[in-house]
Amino acid sequence: MYLKTRKLTELALLTAVALIIFVVELQIPNPFPIPGVKLGLANIVTVYAVYHYRAGEVLLIVVVRILLGSFFSGSIMTMMYSMAGGLLCLIGMLLLKRLLSEKYIWVCSVIGAVLHNIGQIAVACFVAGRGMLLYLPFLLVSGCLAGAFTGVCAQLLIKRRLSRQTDRDKSGQ
Amino acid sequence: MRKIWPFMLVGAVLLLGIAGSALVLQRPDTNIVEIVQDGNVLHRLNLAETEDQIIEVEYDGRINTIEISDHRIHMLEAECPDKTCVGMGWLDSAAPIVCLPNHLVIQFSDSDALDAAAG
Repeated sequence: MYLKTRKLTELALLTAVALIIFVVELQIPNPFPIPGVKLGLANIVTVYAVYHYRAGEVLLIVVVRILLGSFFSGSIMTMMYSMAGGLLCLIGMLLLKRLLSEKYIWVCSVIGAVLHNIGQIAVACFVAGRGMLLYLPFLLVSGCLAGAFTGVCAQLLIKRRLSRQTDRDKSGQ
Repeated sequence: MRKIWPFMLVGAVLLLGIAGSALVLQRPDTNIVEIVQDGNVLHRLNLAETEDQIIEVEYDGRINTIEISDHRIHMLEAECPDKTCVGMGWLDSAAPIVCLPNHLVIQFSDSDALDAAAG
């Protein structure tokens, strides 16, 4: 794939930010004894990128982040769950983006988080059997809450960035 | 114009999750418990009849210690990084106790028969 230097730098920066958020989140102990429940703060970067970059570019960010993230967290099995979840989430959000404007980015984030959990459960079903399906309801609830949280974070970031830009435009001219 | 369907979609998923959780959290109407690894039933026990015991299950060199005490079952110890299964406490809902790194599941059985691989 041919990438302009500027674009490459932007994508690398976003990947690095997502990776840092991911590693920091690893240090937060999980209070819920349910596998797969987490805030998924790195999703802020993904959902932002979905609205500002092309599909292939977002895919690049997500795949590199998951690969490097699983190296840092030190477990290859984690990568299987994250990859299945991450890709399903990405497909869903790229489709939703066509239907929803950036104003509804949190809805996109919620559905993305829920799809991420569904992907994880699917892999877990292969690993540990059908019993894992019983965890899906818990993950639907936690996915809605975590997705709404990351979605609102992304919305705040975009708003701040836009108002900065307009401020700069006003003072610059 | 404000769209309504996104809110309804999120609301529907949330409601579905809450309703499903309420269903799953109920204790099933059976005392038969299965210890399953990689899809194979290693142990089938009737919690109402078993005496207190410790069961050890190995996976890839790592050992999970399962304790049955006072007709209840839980994961006492696990040699895995996350210890999620230990945190799940005693088994008392349809949601199984799982140790994903060691492919181990403790769950109430679907069928009532206590036949194969007993003990």
